[in-house]
Amino acid sequence: MSEQGVGASLKRKEDDRYLRGRGQYVGDIRLAGMRDAAFVRSPIAHGKIKSIHVPEEYRDRVFTAADLDADGVKPIVAVSGLAGFKVSEQPVLAFDKVRQVGELIAMCIGESRAEAEDIADAVEVEFEELPAVHDMLEARKPGSALLHEAWGDNIFLETQIDVDIESAFDAPIKITREISTARQCMVPMEGRGTVATWDSRMEQLVLYTGSQMPHIVRTGLSECLGLEQTQLRIVSPDVGGGFGYKGILLPEDICLGWLALRCGYPVRWLEDRREHLTAGANCREHHYSITAYADRDGRLRGIDCEATVDSGAYSSYPFSACLEAAQVASILPGPYDFPAYRCRTYSVATNKCPILPYRGVARTGVCYAMELMLDAVAREAGLEPAEVRMKNLVRPEQMPFNNITHKHFDSGDYPEALRRAMAHIDIEAFRARQRKGEPDGRLLGLGLSVYCEQGAHGTSVYAGWGIPMVPGHEQATARMTPDGGLELRVGVHSHGQSMETTLAQVAHEVLGIPTDKIKLVHGDTEYTPYSTGSWGSRCAVMAGGAVSTACKEIARLAKAVGAHMLQVKPEEVELAQGAVYSQTGRVTLTEIARTWYLRPQDLPKSVDPRGLEVTIGYKPERDTGTFSYAAHLATVAVDPETGDIEILDYVIAEDGGKLINPMVVDGQIYGGLAQGIGTALYEEMRFDGSGQPLASTFADYLLPGPTEVPAPKLDHMETLAPYTEFGVKGIGEGGAIAPPAAIGNAVNDALKGFGAELLHSPMTPRRVLEAIAEAKAAGTATRSDEVVS
Amino acid sequence: MTQVTLTVNGKPLSAEVEPRTHLADLLRETHNLTGTHIGCEHGVCGACTILIDGVPARSCITFAVACEQAEITTIEGLDEDEIGAELREAFQKEHGLQCGYCTPGMIVAARDLVLRLQAPSEKEIRTAMSGNLCRCTGYVGIIRAIQDVIAERRARGIDAIPDGGRKALGPAGSGHAAAAESAAPRKETAAAATSKTVAAEALEVDPDWKPQTSFRQSFTVSHSPAEVWAFFGRIADVIACLPGASLTSESEDGQVTGEMRVKAGPIAAAFQGVAQVTRDEASRSGRVIGTGKDTRSKSATRGAMEYRVKPAPDGGTDVEVDVGFTLTGMLAQFGRSGLVNDVANRLTSAFVQNLEARLDYAARGGEGEAPEPAVAAELNAGALLWSVIAGRLKRLFAKLFGRG
Amino acid sequence: MKPVNFDYARPLDVDGALALLADETALVKVVAGSQSLGPMLNLRLVQPDLLVDITGVEELRSFEESGDKLTLGACITHADIEDGRLPDVTHGALPSVASGIAYRAVRNRGTVGGSLTHADPSADWVSMLAALGATVTLRGPEGARHLPVEEYMLGALEADLRPGELLVSVTVPKLGSGASWGYYKSCRKTGEFAHAIGAMLIDPERGICRAVIGATETRPLVIADAKGLIGDGDPAAFDSKAVTAALTEAGMRDPIERQTHSVALRRAVEGARGR
Repeated sequence: MSEQGVGASLKRKEDDRYLRGRGQYVGDIRLAGMRDAAFVRSPIAHGKIKSIHVPEEYRDRVFTAADLDADGVKPIVAVSGLAGFKVSEQPVLAFDKVRQVGELIAMCIGESRAEAEDIADAVEVEFEELPAVHDMLEARKPGSALLHEAWGDNIFLETQIDVDIESAFDAPIKITREISTARQCMVPMEGRGTVATWDSRMEQLVLYTGSQMPHIVRTGLSECLGLEQTQLRIVSPDVGGGFGYKGILLPEDICLGWLALRCGYPVRWLEDRREHLTAGANCREHHYSITAYADRDGRLRGIDCEATVDSGAYSSYPFSACLEAAQVASILPGPYDFPAYRCRTYSVATNKCPILPYRGVARTGVCYAMELMLDAVAREAGLEPAEVRMKNLVRPEQMPFNNITHKHFDSGDYPEALRRAMAHIDIEAFRARQRKGEPDGRLLGLGLSVYCEQGAHGTSVYAGWGIPMVPGHEQATARMTPDGGLELRVGVHSHGQSMETTLAQVAHEVLGIPTDKIKLVHGDTEYTPYSTGSWGSRCAVMAGGAVSTACKEIARLAKAVGAHMLQVKPEEVELAQGAVYSQTGRVTLTEIARTWYLRPQDLPKSVDPRGLEVTIGYKPERDTGTFSYAAHLATVAVDPETGDIEILDYVIAEDGGKLINPMVVDGQIYGGLAQGIGTALYEEMRFDGSGQPLASTFADYLLPGPTEVPAPKLDHMETLAPYTEFGVKGIGEGGAIAPPAAIGNAVNDALKGFGAELLHSPMTPRRVLEAIAEAKAAGTATRSDEVVS
Repeated sequence: MTQVTLTVNGKPLSAEVEPRTHLADLLRETHNLTGTHIGCEHGVCGACTILIDGVPARSCITFAVACEQAEITTIEGLDEDEIGAELREAFQKEHGLQCGYCTPGMIVAARDLVLRLQAPSEKEIRTAMSGNLCRCTGYVGIIRAIQDVIAERRARGIDAIPDGGRKALGPAGSGHAAAAESAAPRKETAAAATSKTVAAEALEVDPDWKPQTSFRQSFTVSHSPAEVWAFFGRIADVIACLPGASLTSESEDGQVTGEMRVKAGPIAAAFQGVAQVTRDEASRSGRVIGTGKDTRSKSATRGAMEYRVKPAPDGGTDVEVDVGFTLTGMLAQFGRSGLVNDVANRLTSAFVQNLEARLDYAARGGEGEAPEPAVAAELNAGALLWSVIAGRLKRLFAKLFGRG
Repeated sequence: MKPVNFDYARPLDVDGALALLADETALVKVVAGSQSLGPMLNLRLVQPDLLVDITGVEELRSFEESGDKLTLGACITHADIEDGRLPDVTHGALPSVASGIAYRAVRNRGTVGGSLTHADPSADWVSMLAALGATVTLRGPEGARHLPVEEYMLGALEADLRPGELLVSVTVPKLGSGASWGYYKSCRKTGEFAHAIGAMLIDPERGICRAVIGATETRPLVIADAKGLIGDGDPAAFDSKAVTAALTEAGMRDPIERQTHSVALRRAVEGARGR
């Protein structure tokens, strides 16, 4: 392994500018004459707009749906091709009705953001309030208020899978639970933001926006604004975290684009935290009504589930409103092999922000549901939770394995991951300490969870889903510079994933060019090949594969030039360590590049005219996705008097295939874990019965801080993926998938003496105390402690 | 606009700003020092942390005018700083950053720890860094980097300075300057907006409407149910019992318009709206249901007051009052629902106290001095109410916990 | 998320501040470190006409130790106390509580007077200072008033300030030599608003045994004579049933709230006994 190639924990190329405060985020862009925009947003969840009153003095600085309409601006429509999907139109600015708190009604321009907000405050909107649909289960019932009246109900989409479920009905163990996860916000530390300006020289609308998918934003924006795609340039500068929230087209993007066209000067909107929490960034919120059938030895006979996902008011672009629910049915079985399965899913429209992708889309919820059920089975069967999992995990000799929903698990040893995680803890000693009890009265618990994560899934998967965006070949451009440097251009975009470093490592692995001479160009539709962008744990596999493929082509081209310079045949040379070698001589890539660009007179007529620049596409041999996987183990101490939960130890044994930069992979896992802990214990966007979001600051929406996130023990397995370059698997989301399940099982293990079980995340102190109180009231406790007074 | 003079990263800096401009905006917008990031603008996330007079502080909730003549250091000013350089190296080595957005605040806060804490445990470092949120790294690399820098410096014999070198008392950045008075541009629009009255219009009462929050209070008065029932029929008298409420019009069909001023500490809201009054003679119960809007806070409320009048077992009348409301907009979304509930609960209690007082007065035939409403203008009835409860609790606590 | 426009004034003495506060035609807010008011201004929950910055007043940034008490100016910060820039007369209680308030960057500007006047029931000072028997001094057009800290808070976000009044100082009595204290707060995460607070002072020399239950939805409950809570050194003497009964009586309807507050108090009592 080279010190800079694939597998090296190379220090990051992007760090220095960030560490000196010289990153360039959207909010840092300064354009002459730029003004600020602020929005008038709906304060109510559901209602008809009766009137919008704009004070006379602001008439030229406030714009409403009528202004957009006059210019033919179209609403955002994201349709799924799945049968029965009902279409919603998300208006760019609301005109007749508002369907969520925070929905845009008018845009206001000021010399500063403060002044723009002053103007927004002066705009008066009168509503006729309608009953708010705030509970997805109620919303499914006949007679519920309707969001989109023409539908007749509130269901975006209903799906069902049934594989022989009746064969499980005679199983000796049958356990039914209602399990749910809270609505969350993604909360990258940088909010969304857009600066828009018209470039009259290029005749282009230039939109600077922190985006994970600049090309998709361009495509969507061109449809809404009615511009040719060549008239649009999307620049995504440094992005302060995304986690899915920056993987969509926002109505605000369209507003700003229109404003720049209309006003003729640059305009800027920077989402503030209040807007983020109350108006824009919703995710998760699943409900499962689930039954597990099992034999006495812990072997699963079948899973029967009805899953409901609160999709919010509109179908957002490009992932659509069934982004979560449509996946739930296919991934609920997780890494387990069992013979019977039924799952019905509902994507329900409610008066909340549209549900948007968040790290571990759908996976975190299904993992929580499935793993809690496995522990319930273990308790019922009187077995250790690990034993139940060992009985049901897909075994290594079955790989590659097509599971019950036809997912193609590409490789790996799932039971080994579990064994490795457990090897980091002295389980027997822990159980002994648990039985003995802590001196401070806290209760100990141990929890496991195992998942496999489909990542980098491509055409075949998304074509079936039929959303506006289907990933095909991922392209990369590689271009040598006359001084022997290398430029890489990719259409994916880094929002913290370290691609400036890792893709340079990939190129270095192939070409041997020092990474400090390799420059990644990304985040600009003008300079990069089309791509669906960064989402779904796909960049290392897809962009990494594309860069590798492009660099191999550069290698071929360089070798041909080098061979000529060495006066041998191309097949007689080798490329190594940045130079082309023959039996007798050596020319460096720098010399080759100089020759191609600056001394073409030295080249033969037959030279390949592509020179030292290629754009090429890549798709893995099989594009059904890589399946990275991991076993998580958590031990916790629960204070039965206060409900406080402390994570004592956390272990992750994972398999991400070949790791391009192990340090970076560790960082992704640590960060995912922190977000998973947020889901497990802290983060929750509550709504009241009128659809009002009840958290507008970080005092109410709790993010885990340094004292809430332990440093976990990590163990990597590196089973190479069979279908990808270097055997890489996508791992970006994995860290966030398993923690709620592992921690939930640990908490339930701690509370088992009370017969208490928590089935809703986040597991707050209040929910712990309520579960204990309920269990005591129900008389299920085997403990006699007097804790709830 | 007002002139502010500061020293920023060692250089004098002057700017004309509005008093409402916070330091982060001044540095970013006026002086292009964009390394100071804005993550929440309410002082929790720590992305905007800078050094003011040498110690870390939040630039998003510190107004520039309040820091006249203070010394400011931003991340850009740490380029040549020794601890800054060591931290940068350690953060890179330990992968203490990913997207880089929280990083400037992290470096500034971490520098303060390195300076002040002699030999902190990992837990102490984590606690001391808890004012800085990172969404990417899980803090692992950040904590390791800080541990490394502290250990290396102590090994080199450089001791911590526990108070960070600060000797002056009072808020960092304050206390340097002479007196100041500066006027902001007048808020014509806001003033105009609040003085606007909402036209009375037909109010549709949704019979199924249920308040999000409600409080029930009951009390007994000495006079007859008929008298009490009649009292409730005089809507102006009833409204007068509600602290902060005033009636602007009353129509034959039971529709009234008015204003309700609520003050909770620094938050002041004036809800203007309409209410529908209904009474059921047979059950001697009634309902006032209304909606109101506060232009300042962009909040709206829908509220209902229901009352039932019944003969008391021992003579007199039992009165039961339910007050319920639903808030929408800014005030509703300002979580901390307990705080709003406390305000509403106090409001309800004051209302009931006033009702009792008025009824008593009415029962005495309106003789003597008319009772002062507990609060005529705005709610701040807490003291009055509290004195009653406190007296009772004092006796109870003495009984329960006292000895002697 | 920017505040509405407001005027700003920075007087250099208390009389100057009082003169500005006397303007009844304007909504005037006093500001010191702006760590509580700042967020509310940014959210436009507070929309003042005039902000009076009192940190220019030297007197409010100083302290005075005399006889049996320490008087802190309203603008003394949490960090001033944490770092020992003023004498400790509380056997470590004030520095210890100060170091747990919010975050260091907030403590460098947040003030004692601001915290008490903001009157957030979940804040630390109102509970701990009530346990220590501290008083506030208010100055206004009618002269000075002195109130026990717990009475200064009327309820959530509501301090007992009459029109034109200003909190100028907080006076903390010196603890006796054998005194001990305990403080426990229940938070879901570091620096977060407390969900339950218990504070306890045992000062045999001065014949004081006072307990406080804080972070209720309103002002803290002070048990002025809490000898019954500590028994004669018997840990079992803490009668949680009686405490929860008292909390019920005080209007705390939710049993889980009662439990956590009772536990917080018990742990504060244990802390005081173990100290």
